[in-house]
Amino acid sequence: MSVASAVAEQVLNGLVVGMVYVLLAAGLSIIFGVMDVINFAHGELFALGAYFAFAIAGPLGGAGFWVALVVAPLLVGVIGMAIERLTVKRLYGRDPLYHILLTFGLVLIINDLITSVWGKSAQPFPIPSVLDQPVALFGFNYSLYNYGIIIFGSALALGTWLLLNRTRFGMIIRAGSEDREMVRNLGINIDRYYTLTFGFGAALAGVAGIVLGAYQNVSPTMGSSVIIPAFVIVVLGGLGSFRGAVVGGLFVGLVQTFARTYTPFLEGLIVFLLMIAVLVVRPTGLFGTSIGGGEHHDGALLHGSGGGVLSSETRAKIGYAAVGVLVVVPFFAELTGVTYSVTLLEDILIWALFALSLDLVLGYAGLVSLGHTLFYGVGAYASVLTLMHVSPSVLVALLVAVAVCAAIAWGVGYLSIRVSGVFFAMITLGFAELFYNAVFKFDFTGGSDGLFGVDVFYGLAGLGIDPREFEVPLGVFTLDGGIVQYYFLLAVVVGSYLLARRLIRAPFGTVLQSIRESEERASFIGYDVTAYKRRAFVVSGGLAGLAGGLFAANNGYVAPSFLHWINSGEVIVMTVLGGMGTLYGPMLGAGVFVAAEDILSSYIEQWQLVIGVLFVLFVIFVPRGLVSLPQTVAEHPMVGPVIRDRTGVKEAEVEQHD
Amino acid sequence: MTDPILQTTDLTKEFGNLVAVDDVNLEVEQGEFRSLIGPNGAGKTTTFNLLTGALRPTHGTVTFNGEDVTGLPPHQRVRRGLGRSFQITNVFSGLTVRENVRLAAQAAREGGFKPVEEFLQRATSFDDVNEHTDRVLDRSGLLGRGDEPADVLAYGDKRRLEIAIVLATDPDMVLLDEPTAGMSAEETRATMDLIDEVLSDRTLLLIEHDIDLVMRVSDRITVLHRGAVLAEGTPDAVSEDPDVREAYFGGVEA
Repeated sequence: MSVASAVAEQVLNGLVVGMVYVLLAAGLSIIFGVMDVINFAHGELFALGAYFAFAIAGPLGGAGFWVALVVAPLLVGVIGMAIERLTVKRLYGRDPLYHILLTFGLVLIINDLITSVWGKSAQPFPIPSVLDQPVALFGFNYSLYNYGIIIFGSALALGTWLLLNRTRFGMIIRAGSEDREMVRNLGINIDRYYTLTFGFGAALAGVAGIVLGAYQNVSPTMGSSVIIPAFVIVVLGGLGSFRGAVVGGLFVGLVQTFARTYTPFLEGLIVFLLMIAVLVVRPTGLFGTSIGGGEHHDGALLHGSGGGVLSSETRAKIGYAAVGVLVVVPFFAELTGVTYSVTLLEDILIWALFALSLDLVLGYAGLVSLGHTLFYGVGAYASVLTLMHVSPSVLVALLVAVAVCAAIAWGVGYLSIRVSGVFFAMITLGFAELFYNAVFKFDFTGGSDGLFGVDVFYGLAGLGIDPREFEVPLGVFTLDGGIVQYYFLLAVVVGSYLLARRLIRAPFGTVLQSIRESEERASFIGYDVTAYKRRAFVVSGGLAGLAGGLFAANNGYVAPSFLHWINSGEVIVMTVLGGMGTLYGPMLGAGVFVAAEDILSSYIEQWQLVIGVLFVLFVIFVPRGLVSLPQTVAEHPMVGPVIRDRTGVKEAEVEQHD
Repeated sequence: MTDPILQTTDLTKEFGNLVAVDDVNLEVEQGEFRSLIGPNGAGKTTTFNLLTGALRPTHGTVTFNGEDVTGLPPHQRVRRGLGRSFQITNVFSGLTVRENVRLAAQAAREGGFKPVEEFLQRATSFDDVNEHTDRVLDRSGLLGRGDEPADVLAYGDKRRLEIAIVLATDPDMVLLDEPTAGMSAEETRATMDLIDEVLSDRTLLLIEHDIDLVMRVSDRITVLHRGAVLAEGTPDAVSEDPDVREAYFGGVEA
């Protein structure tokens, strides 16, 4: 094959992948542009499309593919409309963060449903035999199916454009995205159009899923593998811009294909580098006109207000009691033989620290960091690398982890905090994905295996405890290295909590709270809001790095999965579950989440589904988190009066607080 | 004559083809109560935003206390003594009255904070800041209400807190953005009394459309019309000015 035809084939391959991206990104972008919803479940709708088609086409044989191509997207569209009606709709008017959270829960639900119906492994999805043949065009052979994708995708994109720009439907949803109230005042039922729009976007994702499923195969991970590139495209092209989605989708498809062939090292990196570069130069994306809906949403982030019912003395007592219980658990565990509980607690403590770090930016500075696992993962790598090459001291390793992560947080913050809202979320996600893909590429990070087999020393310069040799009999108990590890971890986490509490009560923390209350006012009493947010991000990055470093040192290994975006999602879930804007809330949330995951996964196969459902209900009904429950209960019309009578709070006072 | 505390030269702001502020030259003297009035669309709000730093001018300069502040962001102008109040009350509603004022007092603290103080000491442990906070609370009549959450304050007290926050930043000059917009005559008088009581020793620039109010309280008045300065002078002189009568009062007796 000549060089020219090799390049031409790459271009065609790029366009095929690009078309899939266009369909995905167009749906995402329309949904965001019209409703301000960032739909993380879009990838799962895409996968659903592929699986529905797979299920329909299989039994029908030859003509099945064509039936599936029509029926499956319609089914996905109906599911999309149901999702909008039942869940998304309830959150309009809240901060876009809650849509991210909600759709993250939906990802867990849909993904678990897919694996429970169709299994975990990838399955071949044959393309119809009519299309499964090469055609000779421009002097070389190329698959007819691939040509078909390009033509079909273009037609669909054109149709979507016409729908948006040349029909009454398109006019109304475009007007609705500008000013929802105005459209409503014209007597148009905009809610119905929102439902249709969501369904339409979902159907487009379904089509994309079928097309790609038949191009490669169908697998339960196909959704999570396309969702991040699709976001990159939407951000690259400009949030809410249809033209941006088309150009961005084709561009990313081409760039990925060419990178795979000609610069394999950059494969997986180049897209994120591009996104970061574009956002730094032009925060609105290539075709974006405004800085996006994120700036103009009506709803604020909802904070847990745990102080409502319990007095600060009561809360302090609960805190002491919690630490007390954590101190005696190892002894109890050894007595009862349930040593596993200590391992579980270690997990909880590390996630609690990670959630605490996130809350410093999310709950206190109002910054939605979607890529916080960047710091967790880099902290873990930095700590293991230090243990391997520099010093076996866990203290040195953790110090390096904190320093490296704080430095990276400073750099990322410097580039991204000037753009706010949704763009900050996307840039942080982009950086996390960049590092995730990068660790596969290098030898010193151990590639896809990661690094393992490190030993730690709890001390400095030979003074301290080597957990492998540590053994102290104490009555009926024997204290061993595991105990040292546990108490060290407990001390670090409690210490970090106390440090965070100090920070929050110091002038620095009070300024963060003022920024959360009103950014404009904070700047007009003389505070450099951007600088404060950056500092909070640096502290937060350092603490997240500490959490990652602790996990790696404790378990003696690190792997690329530490940097996977699912972690970023889970830590946000924990923070909101517990109640952001309080320091103990996220830690409580981490405890509940990790314990629930652990217990559920040992009894139920579909534990993700259960967690997903619980989480969706939580986001809708208890957005202020677990810590707000006492107050919610106290203010309930049935319970409220009883408590008020008992505690002697005057009716009038309670009303004033509403 | 002393140097003006605030001066603009050829201040211009264009939005596309629209010239919102057109070659405005303002000079406000130390201690003066100046008002900036004009009909809707005259460029009052744009001028205000150019002075606070919320907007950057297309060209022209803003000089405050002898320093060119044209390129400075809002928070740095505030730090140099150019405060502002908000039209719609903008307080930190989740915090207490005292915390609201203390945050402003903290920002205005002489010499700032050392890193250890900034990050590790309790915000309530600084005697100078606390004293400053108490003085401001006292002067604005909120001393007894420091521990109340800002969001439960009655409307009038919220205005009080609004002014108290401005005062706590220790400004040499305060820009007031229609402080009585949407108020009844009674509330308007109370608010102006409050401003007089609390801020009378500062230089004030009031952006306002209520002519009667402006005539009563100002030392001098600047009239904006279609982005440019139409007239400037004492209340009496301005109200006699035929151009002003034509443009602003539409020829009708004021």
